[in-house]
Amino acid sequence: MTTDTLQEAAPPVSKFSVRTVLHNAGIGLALLALILFFSVFTEHFLTPNNITNILTQITINLILAVGMTFVILIGGIDLSVGSVMAFAAVVAGKAITLPGFGPAEAIALAIVAATLTGVLCGFLNGAISAYWALPSFIITLGMLNIARGAALQVSEAQTIYSFPFAFEEFGSAMIYGVPVVFLVALVLVFIAWFVLNFTVFGRLIYGIGNNEEAVRLAGHSVSRYKIAAFTICGLTAGIAAIVYMARLNISSPIAGIGFELNAIAAVIIGGTSLSGGRGSVIGTLLGAFIIGVLANGLILIGLSDFMRQMITGVVIIVAVILDYYRAKYAST
Amino acid sequence: MAARLAAAPAAAPETPFLSVLGLKKYFGGVKALDGVSFSLEEGEVHALVGENGAGKSTLIKILSGVFPYDSGEISLAGDAYRPSSPHNAKGHGIQVVHQEFNLLDHLTIAENISIEDMPTGRFGLLDRKEMNRRARQALDAIGLTDINVTQPVSSLGIAHRQLVEIARALQSKSRILILDEPTATLTERETKRLFDIVGGIKADGVTVVFVSHHLDEVFAICDRVTVFRNGKTIATDLISEMTPEGVVQRMVGRKLAEGLEDQETHATGETALRVENLLTQANPGETGVSLDLKAGEIVGIAGLVGAGRTEILRGIFGIDPVRAGTIHRNGKEVRFNGPKDAIAAGIGFVTEDRKDEGLILDMPIAANMSLASLKSVSKSGLLQLASETKRAREGGAKLKLKYGKTSDAVSSLSGGNQQKVVLAKWLARGPQVLLLDEPTRGVDVGAKAEIYAILKDLAREGVALLVVSSEMPELMTLADRILVLAEHRIQGELGRADFSEENILKLAYGQTPEAAGDTQ
Amino acid sequence: MKLFKIAAAAATGLALLGGTALADDKPVVGLIMKSLANEFFQNMMVGAEAHQEKRGDYELKAVGMQNETDFESQINAVENFITQGVDAIVVAPADSRAMVRPLKKAMEAGIVVVNFDVSLDEDAKKQQGVELAFVGPDNRGGAKLAGDALGKKLGEGGKVVIIEGNPGADNATQRRLGFEDSVAEYKLNLLDSRTAHWETEEANQVFATMLTAHPDIQGVMAANDSMAIGVVKALESAGRTDIEVVGFDNIPAVGPMIEDGRMLATVDQFGTDMAANAIDLALEVVSSGEQLEGWVKTPIELVTAN
Repeated sequence: MTTDTLQEAAPPVSKFSVRTVLHNAGIGLALLALILFFSVFTEHFLTPNNITNILTQITINLILAVGMTFVILIGGIDLSVGSVMAFAAVVAGKAITLPGFGPAEAIALAIVAATLTGVLCGFLNGAISAYWALPSFIITLGMLNIARGAALQVSEAQTIYSFPFAFEEFGSAMIYGVPVVFLVALVLVFIAWFVLNFTVFGRLIYGIGNNEEAVRLAGHSVSRYKIAAFTICGLTAGIAAIVYMARLNISSPIAGIGFELNAIAAVIIGGTSLSGGRGSVIGTLLGAFIIGVLANGLILIGLSDFMRQMITGVVIIVAVILDYYRAKYAST
Repeated sequence: MAARLAAAPAAAPETPFLSVLGLKKYFGGVKALDGVSFSLEEGEVHALVGENGAGKSTLIKILSGVFPYDSGEISLAGDAYRPSSPHNAKGHGIQVVHQEFNLLDHLTIAENISIEDMPTGRFGLLDRKEMNRRARQALDAIGLTDINVTQPVSSLGIAHRQLVEIARALQSKSRILILDEPTATLTERETKRLFDIVGGIKADGVTVVFVSHHLDEVFAICDRVTVFRNGKTIATDLISEMTPEGVVQRMVGRKLAEGLEDQETHATGETALRVENLLTQANPGETGVSLDLKAGEIVGIAGLVGAGRTEILRGIFGIDPVRAGTIHRNGKEVRFNGPKDAIAAGIGFVTEDRKDEGLILDMPIAANMSLASLKSVSKSGLLQLASETKRAREGGAKLKLKYGKTSDAVSSLSGGNQQKVVLAKWLARGPQVLLLDEPTRGVDVGAKAEIYAILKDLAREGVALLVVSSEMPELMTLADRILVLAEHRIQGELGRADFSEENILKLAYGQTPEAAGDTQ
Repeated sequence: MKLFKIAAAAATGLALLGGTALADDKPVVGLIMKSLANEFFQNMMVGAEAHQEKRGDYELKAVGMQNETDFESQINAVENFITQGVDAIVVAPADSRAMVRPLKKAMEAGIVVVNFDVSLDEDAKKQQGVELAFVGPDNRGGAKLAGDALGKKLGEGGKVVIIEGNPGADNATQRRLGFEDSVAEYKLNLLDSRTAHWETEEANQVFATMLTAHPDIQGVMAANDSMAIGVVKALESAGRTDIEVVGFDNIPAVGPMIEDGRMLATVDQFGTDMAANAIDLALEVVSSGEQLEGWVKTPIELVTAN
C-alpha cells in the first residue's frame, strides 16, 4: 500500500483520505479518458465555449449532489431534492416578484425564501426519519410529492417570470470564462470537504455511516447529526433553486423532475458507498463532471437521444461495479 | 399417536435406540466436539447439561442435520445415521424445538403446524379443511384442546407458541424430540404444563432430549443425564442415582482452585455506583437487581447466557429503557436518558461486541480512540488532528498497542489490539466507573494478560470496575467479589475466599452452595 | 395579450376535483382533464369553471390526474361518470388508445362523449367500432405556422434545429411533424433534432451543446415555450443575437421576449377556451341530439411582435 510512504505525523484521517484519493484517481482517470475520447472524436469538445457550457450545465446537479453526499454518507437517501428545489424556486419566485421592493431587497428576499424553504423541507425529512427511525427512502419519497404539490399549489401551476435584471446578471456572469454559478458550487464543494474532514461534525457523519451504534454508545446524539445531514441536503436544494432562477430567469413548478436521481448518480459514481460511511465530496465533484461531460459529449458526437440515455445508464452501472472491486481491494 | 406406538415397538435395552460414539467436529481449527459418546433409549427423557460452549448445541445441530460431523459414528435404530440436511433428519424422525422459535407470526396455527407438509387436494390446491383437521389433532394430542387452530400465531403468548412448536414437531411422526432450553422463557405454571406434556409424549414412546440450564428441572423430569465439558461427554448417569451437586462437580471437572495466583484485594473507597432494584426491559420478573460498586473495586458478574448480565450494564449505561429501580452515582440519584448522560457522569462502557458496538472498523485507530472524547481533540468544532494523533500515540503506548500508524484502520489490528483500542477510547475520557462486557472475548492469551494488568492498574488508580464475563477463571483473577446471576436475579455473591468454579456454577444453575457463606 | 397557457411536461401533483353542485334538472357534464400540474390544463380548467359560472345552465364535474402518464385514473373517472349517470363526458385523453374502450362503454350507456385536445387513435376507434368526432387544435398545423414564420425569415437553406417534447407524446409528435413540414416546404437545412422533455433547464443544456456542435445554427423550433425560454437563455449566455427562435403555446413568460425580438414567434391555441368550447358542443348534442362528425378544429393563431 502507498500508505507506507506516509509519515506517522500525517493527520489520522489520512489513511481514509489516501484510500479516497486512490479511488478518486480512478474516477479522475475515467473522467480523463472520457475527455480524451470526446476531444479526439469531436471538434468542438475542448473549445473554451464548450467548457463554459459544461461548467454551467453541471452546476445545479453538483450543488444538489454536495448535499446528497452528506445524506448518503450517513446511510440515508434523499429522493425529494428535485421537488424541494422546485418548491424553493417557486416560493422565491413569489418573493422576488412581490411588488414594492427594490431589486436588491427583492433578490435578498428571494435568497432567504429559497434557502429557508429548502432548510425546512430537509429538516422535516431528517427529523421524521430520525425520530421514528423510519427509512429515509420512504420519508423523502413522501416529501417528493409534498414539495411538488406545494410548488404547484403556490404557483397555481404557472411559470413565474420577470425577475430583477441584476439577478439575471449574476446567473450569466463569468470570470475568465468560468460561470460565477459554478464558482458558487465549487465553494460549496470546498466547504463540504472541509467540514467532512476537519470538523467533529464531519467525523461523526462518517462514524454514523460506518457504525451508528458505536457512535451512539460513545455518547453522541445520532439523530441530531442525521437531522443535520438532511437539513444540509435541503439547504443545497434551496441554493440550487436560486441558481436555477438566476440562470433561466423563471421559476417553474415542474422544474427539477428527476434531478434527485442525477444527484444520487453523481455521488455514487464519485465512489460514495450507498450503505454509508465511505466516500468523499471530491469524488462527488468528479462524479458530477462525468455525468456532465457524458451528456455534453454524446450530443456533440451526434448520438441520438435514446442511445444517449442508454449509455448514461451503462456508465452508472459500470461505475458502481468498479466501486465494488475497489471496496474489495481496499479492504484487503 | 397410537399408530406411532405400534410402529415403534420398544427396543431391547441392550441395543440403544440412538448411539453416538467418539463424535468429533471441527470448525476450521477450532474443536467444537472432541469425542462425544452417549446413547438414547427409546421412550426416555434424557438431559444434556454443561457450561456454555461445552458442545451441547453443536451436537444437537449435528443430530438435526445442520452440520455434518468429521469423525465418529452415529447409529439410529441399528442403522448408520448421517443426516444430509435438516429435512433428511426430520425424515428419520428427529425433531428439534429451538430456543428461538421458528414460527411465522402472521400465519395461523394450523398453517404453521402444516408448513413442512401442506395437505393438497385436487389441482394441487391447499386443502384447508384437512390442514385444520391435522392441526386440531396435533394440538389435542398434547392436550391443547382449548386453542383455536385458525387464529394467527401472533395472538399467542410465548408459552403457547412453544407448545405449538412441540405440536408441530410431534405431528411429523417424531421418534426423537429435542427440546433446546424449552423453559427459558416460561413461567412456573407454564413449565409445569410443559412437563405434563413431556410426560405424555414419553408415555407414547417418543424419546425426549432435554437441554436445560436448570438442574431442578432436569431432576424433576429426566431419566438420565449426560454431562458435557469442553466438547467432550464426561459421563451419563441415572438421575435416580445422582445429585445436583454431583452434576455440577462433573461439569466443572477438577476442583479448580488454581489460576488465583493474584490474591490482591483492592483498597476500596467511597461507593461510586449504587444500583437499587434495577428492572430492565429484558427482565420478565418483578425482582430487580441491586449492587454497590466502590471506587477502586473490581466486581465481577457471572451467570449463564440469558441470565441478564449484559442487560444490567445496558440498563445502567442508559442504552435500554429501565422499568424500575434507581441508580446512584457518588451518592446522588441519577437518571440517564442515554449513553450521553452516563458518560457525562463519568461512566464508560466497553461493550461485548466490539465489531458492532465498540469500534468503527473502517476508520483510523486515532479516530476510534477519540470517539468518546472529541471535545478534547477539537476547538469549537474543528478537529485538532495533530493533537488527536499525539493522544492516540500516548494511549497506544500506555496500553502496549501493537499497530503500524495511528492512521491505519482499526480493522487492520488483531482482536486483542482492537479490544485495547476500545479500552483506550474510554480511558481517554478518564472515567471513574468502567463497565466491561466480556472484555477479553476473542483475545489471545498474551493480550488477555495485558488487559488484566491494565484493568488492575485502573482499579489501583481508583476506578470502579464492573466486569461481566462468561470465563470463570477471568472473573476469579480480576474480581474482588463476584455476583452470580440466574434468571435476572442475583442468586448469590461470592467473596474471594469462596471463589471456585463449582460455587459459581451452582449459583448460576439456581442452586445454593453450602460453602458460600456470604450469600445474600 | 389575453390569457395564456403552456403545454408543458409531466409532473406529479394534484388530482383536483372541481365542479359545483347545482340544481338537479340541469344536464351534468363530466370533464376529464390531463395533469393539472401542467399550466396549460390548469388554465383550461379555470376557463371551464368560469364558463360554467357564466352559463349556469349545467352542472360541471371535473377530474384531473396525477401526471401525464397516469391514464388509469382517467379510465376510473369514465367508469365513475357512467355510474353517476352524467349526461355528457368531455375528455382530453392521456392515452389515445387506452381510452377508446371505456369511452365506448360510456357511449353505449347513452352518454354524449366529446373528445378534445388530443384525438383518439383512428385505428383503435375502428377496431372497437367507435365513431367519435374530435374537437381540438391542429398541433401539426400550429407547429407549421411557427415553422413557416421561421422559414420565411431565414429563407431557403436556413440552418435550423428542433427541440422536441416528450418522446412518444402525441402532441410532441404532431408538433415535430409540423416543424418538419415547414423544413420541407422552405427547404431548410435541419441540423439536429433532440428532446428536452418540455423542460426549460434541460432545453437550456441541450441547446447550449447543440450550439457548440453547430455554431452556424440560424433558427430554433421549440415544441413549447418553456423550452424556448431555455433556448433564449442559452443564446444570451453565448452572446448570440443572430439566431431566431420560435415556440408554441404563448405562455405569459414569452410575451416580453417576443416584444423585444428575442423570440420570433409562438402559437396560441387558446387552450383556456378549449374545454369550455368542447362543453358547449357537448351540451348542444345533448339538447339537439345531432352528433358531431370528423374533426372540429379549434382556432390557432400565430403570435408575433406585430
